[in-house]
Amino acid sequence: MKQQNQRLEEHLITKKPYYLATGSEIEIALAAHKNGLPLLLKGPTGCGKTRFMQFLAWKLKLPLITVSCHDDLSTSDLVGRYLIRSGEAVWTDGPLTLAVRHGAICYLDEIVEARKDTTVVIHPLADDRRELPVEKRGELLSAPPDFMISVSYNPGYQSVLKDLKPSTRQRFVALSFDYPEAKMETAIVLREGHVTQEVAESLVKLAEMTRSLKESGLAEGASTRLLIQTGQLLSSGIDIHTACRAALIEPLSDDPELLGALQEMVSSVF
Amino acid sequence: MRPATLAKRFYDLVAPDIPNEWDVEEVLDPFADESEAICEAALGHVPVIWPVSHSLCYDFLRLLPKALRTLSIEQVPRWIGITLDLYETKGLRAAQRFMQDDLKEYLAKLDGSGGLPLSIAGKQLLPYIRGIARDDLRIAVSRQCFTDTKTIFVPDEISFSENIDENFLFYKLILTFQWGFIVCNSFLSSPNKTRDLVDFFQGFASPHLASSIYQNLESIRVRVFLNQELPGLMRAAEKHIFSKLRDRFHKISPLSALQFAIIVNKEDMAALLSEILNSNDRNAFITGQASPHDSMRITEALCQDIKQEQDTELLVKTFSFQGVFKLSTVVTAGKIKEQQMGEELSDLMATHLLSLSKKELAKLMQEDQDKKSGNILAESDISMIVDSEFAGTAKEEPDAPLLVTINNQEIDLPPELEAFSKTFLKEFGHLPAKFISSAAGKAGKLMLEQDITGSTKTEQTPEGNAGIFYDEWDYRRQGYRKNWCTLHCKSLTPVYSSFIRNTLDKYHGLTIRLRHQFEMMRSQEHFVKRQREGDDIDFDALVESISDTKAGLPGSDRLFIRLQRDERDIAVLFLVDMSNSTTGWINRALKESLVLMAEAMEVLGDRYGIYGFSGMRRSRCEFFHVKHLEESYGDKVKERLTSITPSEYTRMGPAIRHATNILQDVDAKARLIITLTDGKPEDYDDYKGQYAIEDTRHALLEAKTADIHPFCITIDQEAKEYMKHMYGPANYIFIDDVRKLPVRMPEIYRALTC
Ligand SMILES: Nc1ncnc2c1ncn2[C@@H]1O[C@H](COP(=O)(O)OP(=O)(O)OP(=O)(O)O)[C@@H](O)[C@H]1O
Ligand SMILES: [Mg+2]
Repeated sequence: MKQQNQRLEEHLITKKPYYLATGSEIEIALAAHKNGLPLLLKGPTGCGKTRFMQFLAWKLKLPLITVSCHDDLSTSDLVGRYLIRSGEAVWTDGPLTLAVRHGAICYLDEIVEARKDTTVVIHPLADDRRELPVEKRGELLSAPPDFMISVSYNPGYQSVLKDLKPSTRQRFVALSFDYPEAKMETAIVLREGHVTQEVAESLVKLAEMTRSLKESGLAEGASTRLLIQTGQLLSSGIDIHTACRAALIEPLSDDPELLGALQEMVSSVF
Repeated sequence: MRPATLAKRFYDLVAPDIPNEWDVEEVLDPFADESEAICEAALGHVPVIWPVSHSLCYDFLRLLPKALRTLSIEQVPRWIGITLDLYETKGLRAAQRFMQDDLKEYLAKLDGSGGLPLSIAGKQLLPYIRGIARDDLRIAVSRQCFTDTKTIFVPDEISFSENIDENFLFYKLILTFQWGFIVCNSFLSSPNKTRDLVDFFQGFASPHLASSIYQNLESIRVRVFLNQELPGLMRAAEKHIFSKLRDRFHKISPLSALQFAIIVNKEDMAALLSEILNSNDRNAFITGQASPHDSMRITEALCQDIKQEQDTELLVKTFSFQGVFKLSTVVTAGKIKEQQMGEELSDLMATHLLSLSKKELAKLMQEDQDKKSGNILAESDISMIVDSEFAGTAKEEPDAPLLVTINNQEIDLPPELEAFSKTFLKEFGHLPAKFISSAAGKAGKLMLEQDITGSTKTEQTPEGNAGIFYDEWDYRRQGYRKNWCTLHCKSLTPVYSSFIRNTLDKYHGLTIRLRHQFEMMRSQEHFVKRQREGDDIDFDALVESISDTKAGLPGSDRLFIRLQRDERDIAVLFLVDMSNSTTGWINRALKESLVLMAEAMEVLGDRYGIYGFSGMRRSRCEFFHVKHLEESYGDKVKERLTSITPSEYTRMGPAIRHATNILQDVDAKARLIITLTDGKPEDYDDYKGQYAIEDTRHALLEAKTADIHPFCITIDQEAKEYMKHMYGPANYIFIDDVRKLPVRMPEIYRALTC
């Protein structure tokens, strides 16, 4: 137990994460927590979902346990398994069980990537039963009021085989995330990317330009994350055109014509 | 290469066509003396050109040896690319002329010593300006450059400089300046105001002079704006363009200072403007505070000072990158948009009115009916007054409530409608009563219709021989029209031709790559853990099992890993739009894509069907069979595929419903409908506009409800607003160049099902 508490401690966020609210997402999430409701965050990549969860956990003073889902993630990976320690079989809680036991927040990132059979444990936790069967130990854990489950996914172009099932989807309070509006995004880039107001404004302007190219063949425009990374390269002394090329343009596309056009935008803005 | 080998290879490439031996000999003989590489280059391009035009292909072979004295082998594909573009846009003559005569000029362009054609620069310029403008603007060719606010017209070639990069920059500058006029509001905010601007110029002794002065003043505003917005571009323009223009500049009158001010730096601009403007105005202009109305006022003042006898043509000019103002085109484009948005508004309003209870609606229309003593409602009967007080102030106070009154009764607008009305108001400055009264008219008519169809519900569609009935969604009444469409299934008549073979030749490289890629997808193997038997020990499971046993639990016997081939188990129907708008290139590209898709699917093993759809009117929707799901891809299928030809209209709803019907009984892990169309759903009758869009949307929703994934590939010049609404944001892809379709379609399928 002591060991587990220690494990949990690591997930406690003590320093206030920087998060700029873009709407009423904080109030909604707090209300959801108060009522024991699960959260579904949807939005494009790099728009602040993970950061939001960190902020929420800090605000609620609860540990945040994040699991990045992948196609090999099984229920045991979430719930836990027996391990052998010096000849003894020792039960080790998986991240989900850990969170349930201690009333923490469990955040399943990119939920659609997880194996379908994980829904078996997610469903009963995400509805009003709020319980987790730990089959191996014959336990049925009831989640304490503080426990919260939250999942994220990116509803962009993706394989039809990976869509979220309605029965899963309809258990959650859904928050739709998008890139913050220009003023806020500028403030974020300014702070996180350590650049001047002027550069931040220009980076955001560029991002908006790339995001309007959906119909010209660019499915996803530059994310806030890319802007911040560009800013970081800049503040480490890389010159603006090189930084934009490496951190903003090249990650977006391989199409030479689009890359050319993006490059022209950069050279127009800076 | 020996002539015989060459000829043999040539015949193979163009088979089953049998070309005239004389022609072949004549063009191929000269290659006998050429290197292997040149022969390969020549033959390599035959499959590209031959299917497009035989005579162009001969010309190519005839001219290539000579061309290669100046062109490098690497430059040949681009040379051919332009030739084929010309062939498609301007015909054989133009293409031949280009190949024969323009080689020098073309080379000059490649070397950068001549002008830069839009055909080369455009591919980058279009996404560039769309990004800069955050708007789907178009680019079109015209001798003079101007914009109607939706399209920017530019010359088909720029030869400002000897240097290709500077010419490209010049294109950028032109486009960006025109966009600048749009965002800086130089054409004023609405079509009516633009028309006032026309009248304003007409009021001068020399409208031309007034317009030139105004345009120069506006250009100064745009320049100041761009200094702020796109400093990089302005810096480059200063270095490569403005500095040169300054060297060539001749002052022709004191007013020339206005023109010159556009191409100088900030300090010089202030100094120049001081010669003409008072200090207040000057400051307003250089700080970006000035408005188009300031420009109009100053234009008026300046024109007054000009003496009649002066030759006004010689007083002030404009630079070519500023283009010209063609206000009438702006008015037209604005009117078209106003009309479109107005109809949308009136549709929305009609829907809203219909959603009111019958009593409320009747009350709204009562009075007028009384007056007309029971006459059926006509549009003019309904008086519609938009509260003018609020309409007038909406601009300054965007949050002010919008009041719409019908027969002196205020009606509340739902948020969506209110938002739309406000956008409209903002853009056009007024809410014309005609759109709203037409909404009331539509609502009234529909209400009557509903009453009528309600009583004669058993209206039977004409007895079709084996026709299938489908409901159709009527968004205005938010309900289905029962058995509204009759769908007839037919089979296309097989046609034998070399189309399939030519396609496979043309995309030889791509086909090989596709086969490989799809093969990889098929054999998507992965390890499944925790199996009772398998090729390898699942170490994790073993450890867990031992631990379980130690903990006193029964250990699991699922201790093996097995390599498993993924069962894909996907069933997909391809629905092809066969409406008559798909003639020519589109039809060809659609079929080529289907051929490539079929090749890929054969490798992959997913079950797939291919159907076409067209028809005319609700009583005759046609659904053409090319390949059923379980049918094998044999000669008959290929021949039916070849015979896909444009026919009539695009009534999408029934086709999608029928496809849903087919798939509903198919057992598969994932079921897809992939629709290929060239644009809006539209039929001969009233299946158009929002009605058609909403019905299609509903048909797609029905498919989704049946757990079928609909996905639409749309080929169009530009993406349309309605697409996202109709298909749902992630359920469609839009392709602006039909030639990309054969390459894109397998990619899309791969992404959808990997
Ligand atoms: N509203 C915001 N307030 C503060 N920072 C933000 C905000 N939005 C985005 N960011 C910044 O953007 C970066 C990327 O955000 P984050 O990692 O949360 O993205 P994400 O939505 O989780 O993306 P992914 O789906 O790819 O995991 C963060 O590191 C943070 O600096
Ligand atoms: Mg994240």
